[in-house]
Amino acid sequence: MTLTPVDWIIIAVYLTGCLFAGLWMRRYVRGVQDFAVAGREMDVNVGIASLAATELGLVTIMYTAQLGYEKGFAGAMIGVVMAAAVWLVGRTGFVIGPLRNAGVMTIPELFEKRFSPRVRWLAGLFVVLGGLLNMGIFLRLGGEFLVHATGLPPGWLEWIMTGLLGLVLVYTALGGMLSVLVTDYLQFLVMGVGIVVTSVLVILHIGWSDLQAGLEAAWGTGTLKAHPYDPTHATSFGWGYLLWQFVFQVACATTWQTQISRVLAARDASTARRMYTRTSFYFVGRFLLPGLWGAAALVWFTRNGGLPEGLTTLTAMPHYLSIVLPAGIIGIVVAAMLAAEMSTDSGYMLTWATVIYNDLVTPCLKKPLSPRGQLLLTRLLVLGIAVFLLFYGLWYELPGNAWDYLAVTGNIYLASVFTLLVAGLYWPRANATGAAAALVLGAVGPLVFLVLGTKFKIAPEVAGASSFALAAVGMIAGSLLSPSPAKPAPAK
Amino acid sequence: MNPLLVAFWAVLIFASILWYGFLVFYIGWKAGREIKVMTETLGAARDETKTG
Repeated sequence: MTLTPVDWIIIAVYLTGCLFAGLWMRRYVRGVQDFAVAGREMDVNVGIASLAATELGLVTIMYTAQLGYEKGFAGAMIGVVMAAAVWLVGRTGFVIGPLRNAGVMTIPELFEKRFSPRVRWLAGLFVVLGGLLNMGIFLRLGGEFLVHATGLPPGWLEWIMTGLLGLVLVYTALGGMLSVLVTDYLQFLVMGVGIVVTSVLVILHIGWSDLQAGLEAAWGTGTLKAHPYDPTHATSFGWGYLLWQFVFQVACATTWQTQISRVLAARDASTARRMYTRTSFYFVGRFLLPGLWGAAALVWFTRNGGLPEGLTTLTAMPHYLSIVLPAGIIGIVVAAMLAAEMSTDSGYMLTWATVIYNDLVTPCLKKPLSPRGQLLLTRLLVLGIAVFLLFYGLWYELPGNAWDYLAVTGNIYLASVFTLLVAGLYWPRANATGAAAALVLGAVGPLVFLVLGTKFKIAPEVAGASSFALAAVGMIAGSLLSPSPAKPAPAK
Repeated sequence: MNPLLVAFWAVLIFASILWYGFLVFYIGWKAGREIKVMTETLGAARDETKTG
């Protein structure tokens, strides 16, 4: 399947609309507060659209479909666990309530109030390091989807993604969070239509009972190595991994800066909590619907002589969609996937630029910048991140499973910063020494496992849980072995 | 295969499709109105800044 003129028109209309809406919002940016957290004017439904659009990127669709291809429907259990974690955090206000009430612009900023300026700087460094490495593979995976789903020449991948990133860069650098919120809203709508249409067409194409029978046959013959329905089965995730995932997802929901930036842009803590509870079920579909496409691709290719040469479990789904989707519809789906990619890229670029500006550069300045200077610096940082993404993202070859890469890079800061947040907000005895120890131990863990993981087989749940345990030990031991903080500030 | 497990995933898949479809209309309407209010508030603040 290649794109027809109708498809190209649909894509062009969508891209033009996004660019226009993004640039339109530039007029409302008066300073860094507007640029970074939308003047804290975001209401609950805009928050839902923005949170859902940012956290459902084309990279998400690729790795969740890969899980569906390799593990059947059971691969989507991570989405169910994630939804439970997001709902629980929203319902209780755990971390996000006091964090929003603190009135900070980034998580590390809270650490200066609670611990010390050095802890803020160190935390900012880990947040940026983990975040940028995590984002590093977004462009390549997004490009691979487009090339395989549309039949465009593979040589175009770099140019398409460069053009797409350039488009996102223009409105993100000029309008900041205000442009991101409005374009996220448009992208949420286009994405929703594309995902629903694709899911319905996949079920109609493969047939529900045939899909079921195909998965069972693939499991019976050993083509599918994991139980397609039971995530607790020894061949699938198993209980240990799922329990670890719950802890990991609670940490993500309370610590992942791109999610938290929506909490900090919300009008108040109550708005942030409602945004979480109402978005929670969206995360089930985030794993399950692309997982359905991946599982259908497995059944289809198994029936038709196996995976064609040159395809992997990662690129099987987009290739399968190129068979399923008719002309006209593929234009809508490609626009939806571009929307997924753009909303994630814009949200992530803005978030990491804000952390670099707010927590790494500003604390080092002897004289504060003028409001105009602050805005210019943040815009230049967005540009710098885009350049980094182009070089790292398009020329880096992924060594293994995409989900594992994302989990390991995210964990570089998740374990340590989550420990700091929980201790800082809920444990009055926590101090700067404990915070520094937790940061170093929590970040060193995943890096050591990353290196040793190639020599010794370490289960991901063991590696992940150990990082959290090391960070907690660092926080508790460091705090108890050094003087008590002068002014404890527990959560109210 | 455990029929309960198969039914569990089937229900979740169809619920997700319906939920995504519903959200397109619901959020499309509600968030659209919120963006209108947000831009009016920010526009008023900008005009106030301009006129001192």
